[in-house]
Amino acid sequence: MNFEKVVFGFFIVLALTLNFGFFLGDIDNPDHHNAMELGAALAVSLIATIIKFGDRSQMGAILLATSLVADLQLLIAAGVWGYAANVSANGVTSEVLAGIVSLSGGALLANLVSVTLLVAETITIRR
Amino acid sequence: MNDIVWLTMRRMRGPLVIMILVYSLSVFGMVLISGQDADGNALRVGFLDAAYFVAIMATTIGFGEIPTTFTGAQRLFVYIVLFPNVIAWLYSIGTIISLLVDPQFRAVLARARFNRRVRRMRQNFYVVCGFGYTGRMIVRGLLKRGIGAAVIEQKQDIIHSMALDEDFAHLPALAGDVTDRRLLDLAGLDETLQRCIGVIAITNDDHANLTIAITSKLLRPTLPVLARAETRRVVDNMASFGTDLTVDPYTIFAERFHLALVSPVKYLVQDWLISVPGTQLRSDMDPPDGRWILCGVGRFGSRMAAKLEQAEMPYTVIDVHEDRVAKRPGSVLGRGTEAKTLLEAGVDKAAGIIAGTGDDVDNLSIIMTARELNPDLFVVARQENPLNDQLFDSSGADLIARRSLIVARRILAVATTPLLPVFIDHLVNQDERFAHRLKHRLEAVLHGFAPGLWTINLVGEWANSLHVAAREGTTTRLRHLTLNPRSQEADELPCVCLLLERGSLRTFLPGGDEKLMEGDHLLFAGRGSAHREMLFALSEPTALVSVVTGRSQPRGAIMRKLARKRAR
Repeated sequence: MNFEKVVFGFFIVLALTLNFGFFLGDIDNPDHHNAMELGAALAVSLIATIIKFGDRSQMGAILLATSLVADLQLLIAAGVWGYAANVSANGVTSEVLAGIVSLSGGALLANLVSVTLLVAETITIRR
Repeated sequence: MNDIVWLTMRRMRGPLVIMILVYSLSVFGMVLISGQDADGNALRVGFLDAAYFVAIMATTIGFGEIPTTFTGAQRLFVYIVLFPNVIAWLYSIGTIISLLVDPQFRAVLARARFNRRVRRMRQNFYVVCGFGYTGRMIVRGLLKRGIGAAVIEQKQDIIHSMALDEDFAHLPALAGDVTDRRLLDLAGLDETLQRCIGVIAITNDDHANLTIAITSKLLRPTLPVLARAETRRVVDNMASFGTDLTVDPYTIFAERFHLALVSPVKYLVQDWLISVPGTQLRSDMDPPDGRWILCGVGRFGSRMAAKLEQAEMPYTVIDVHEDRVAKRPGSVLGRGTEAKTLLEAGVDKAAGIIAGTGDDVDNLSIIMTARELNPDLFVVARQENPLNDQLFDSSGADLIARRSLIVARRILAVATTPLLPVFIDHLVNQDERFAHRLKHRLEAVLHGFAPGLWTINLVGEWANSLHVAAREGTTTRLRHLTLNPRSQEADELPCVCLLLERGSLRTFLPGGDEKLMEGDHLLFAGRGSAHREMLFALSEPTALVSVVTGRSQPRGAIMRKLARKRAR
């Protein structure tokens, strides 16, 4: 067992699960979507990205790309939330929330691809 | 460029993971612990405020407790997370800074910069491996003729000092292993670098030169390779895989020495052609008949001995190595720096002496001692270190073998005026009448100073004037090109056409009536002003035509048409 592989898999899967947890629920119902969970998803996603740095293989490049997509989507979602809550006069309305959740849905898809690639790679390596 | 990004990413992985972990945990903590507003009501800290506060805490900026004064619980939490945050932050910055001063990272940066500058070269260039005294001379010569250079040199100091030199500061230069294939790739062996026109390998190390030559012949077989090699074995080896030019300074000098022995006039003329333009010309050369003394029969001395034998000159060898002395009967064991040894070798009755040891000071000492014993000696000296130029100049030696100068001149000649070696070969093989004829013609235009050499290639736009003249119904001849285009009278430019090359046909010292055609290559020797006038005449289509037809030519299309009508 390789400890580095454990950490690697841990963060990538955690990014997906947190993302999924936030996405779950009615799209415009504030009670179903927790800001803390979005923040956690973003933080873990960023860490997952950095862990993928420096891998020069073909697979490494694709993994990094999916992570960057997830980061981008989550950052925009968090940015929209921050703007609505702190700057905008209307606060976090259900339309804004729907936008945030759908953005996180996009990130979810990217994370899903990332995990699928990880699983596929693990299966093909027989050592 | 890619390397830099990857290296940064790899090195920054640890610090960034730690920083994001600590940072996000702190933010979550701040959000979870509720604060208090001025009235004592519970107040949840928002994400934005929490993130903002942690950021100013971690960077030790510390604007204060935001949004309201903290409660005890909050302060306790901040107290706990403060240190890990600051440490994580400093750790990241420290890693970035250590990366910037890391030799490996700097090497990658330097390599990327070098490659960028090579790719941006707008003129044709040579890859020059080795930037010692010889390399410097060669690059200077190339730049003077509008050819660029990408320099690779083993020693970092030399590259640093290059950046301070005005002449070379703009050139791409890289310190590193000159035999490294990747460096050669960056410098010009890469197929995409079409402006690279050749590789010059002139490091002090024969083996390194050999490696460079092989590498470039394997990677880009069409690229000419000019290399320096000082041992017979390496010269043969290089020639075996098609190195375009191998320069062995000692052999070149020995051949010249032979030429001086058998035909002083040929020696003089070729010496004029290869001298640095503008320097005083050597006016006489008469090596004496008689016995020679040869001090040192190493790489240099043995080649000189062979040439003395070829010229049927008797000679006596002085050498410190017993085995070398034993091989040549009648030789004297010794250094040659003491009067005793020189007298033993018969210096008082000798005609000339060759100071050919590998040590400059020994050679100077030999010259001085020998001159004292016999003031009429003809002195040939070998100089290894270019810093001793002045010492050897004032030693009064008649011929000086300067290794780096010989290499630099030969390589420059081949790289910038490829027709010159062809011409000199012809000169050496022809009879003396040819040399005398050339000497007279050169003397008439040079007035005692060494000529510049240039090649005129009548191709592309340089042949425009020929077409214009042909349309006017006249033929351009060589004598038109050597007339001053700005002058109304028949004013000859101070130059001599040495060689005309048309396809595989070569005409040496062509006469003025020779017709010029598109595709001709002409080699000229003469004063720099003649070169400028000639280029002017060729780049200005009407200028040459005016010379050819003898009428000044209108430049505009309409006026030209009118003039042609009037002529009919």
